[in-house]
Amino acid sequence: MVIKCDDVWREISNYLDGDLDPAPKQVLEDHLAQCAHCQSVRDGMRNVVELYGDKAMFHLPAGFHPRLRDRLADQIEGRKISRRAWLVSIGVTGALAASAVLAAALDHFVPQPLSEMSQPARRLPQRLVAVVDSGKLFHVPGCPFMHGKYHMVMPEEAVREGYAPCTRCMREALRSAGKVTPDFEGEEIVSSETEGK
Amino acid sequence: MQNRDRSEAEVTIAPRSDPAQEHEAVLIGRIQGGETELFYELIRPYERRVFVIAFTILRNEQDAEDAAQDAFLKAFKYLAQFRSESRFSTWLIQVAINEARLRQRKSHLEIMRPIEDKENEDGTYTPHDFTDWREIPSEALERKEIREKLVAALASLAQKYREVFVLRDVEHMSIEETAQALGISAGAVKTRLLRARLMLRDLLSPGLEGIWVSHSQIPKGTKPWS
Repeated sequence: MVIKCDDVWREISNYLDGDLDPAPKQVLEDHLAQCAHCQSVRDGMRNVVELYGDKAMFHLPAGFHPRLRDRLADQIEGRKISRRAWLVSIGVTGALAASAVLAAALDHFVPQPLSEMSQPARRLPQRLVAVVDSGKLFHVPGCPFMHGKYHMVMPEEAVREGYAPCTRCMREALRSAGKVTPDFEGEEIVSSETEGK
Repeated sequence: MQNRDRSEAEVTIAPRSDPAQEHEAVLIGRIQGGETELFYELIRPYERRVFVIAFTILRNEQDAEDAAQDAFLKAFKYLAQFRSESRFSTWLIQVAINEARLRQRKSHLEIMRPIEDKENEDGTYTPHDFTDWREIPSEALERKEIREKLVAALASLAQKYREVFVLRDVEHMSIEETAQALGISAGAVKTRLLRARLMLRDLLSPGLEGIWVSHSQIPKGTKPWS
């Protein structure tokens, strides 16, 4: 069987790939053996395939791999905790911690009144106190600093109505109430309201 | 016409080992199970391949790198959808091709397509040159200017030929894998491959500074069609 050059060219690629059956392959090789043109096509194509198939033909750009890893990191590692989210969370946590420390420091350094009696009363004596009708204080009955008409109320009621304890006569009573001594039992204002519930 | 016999003139396509595929399958399972950092290991062997196919389509190194990165990101995102009926490498190449084509459409590269794109690939391609080719010295590719000329010759082909040629002859994918990756038939792959190889041969036949052509060229007027 005789074939023409263009028959060879149609199959030359399959021939180089080893994709021909033995019979047509033999016919093609017989033609090649006596045709310089087809030998040129075959040799040229083989060179092309070998050149482009060489690993040295294409190179990755320098730094390709680290750049790719950087680009992928957010997505790949971010499925657990993204680096950006991690940084944001660290920042927010730090800001909160700093705020807490600052608040505690400011609270710690707030100037405290020196007078013990200037402190708000935490406990009040559980006995009647005298409220001067024209004044703003309530007293232990018989206080020498109490003048004018007065009426007797429970200390919680006096506080509720806006009266303040006399810093002189109530001093000892308030101090004793704070320590909750057996002979002058005090009761916390708030707890006295809640204990009954 | 399938035959496994190979002559000396044939180009050997490296066989792929099953253990490698099995290892990939294990890796993919573990990644899908949450060990996402193993994705780096999975894609490491394919970084060059993805870049080369992107470069083949876009013909620009920076665009190709960006497209390759996007392709890997997309592959990670949709790895759960990967089914082991196809090879991971083929699936990854499909993703890379789609990403590069998408980027190409967004750019103005469309208008720079060679006119061969419009040619009918079924038409017979006739070789133009019948230079007597020498065997290529192995160190030819060490010369940058040689590689640049080869890259330029490849870039001058129409995209459909570049894609087939690169997958088949640069990345040594099989005819079937190439067809699957490009979504075309095996017959179309063979036809385009033949034309790509013949066109490149003609483009390079003047020789790269006389590297592989001898001086005893066949005289004009003796060509088969003359």
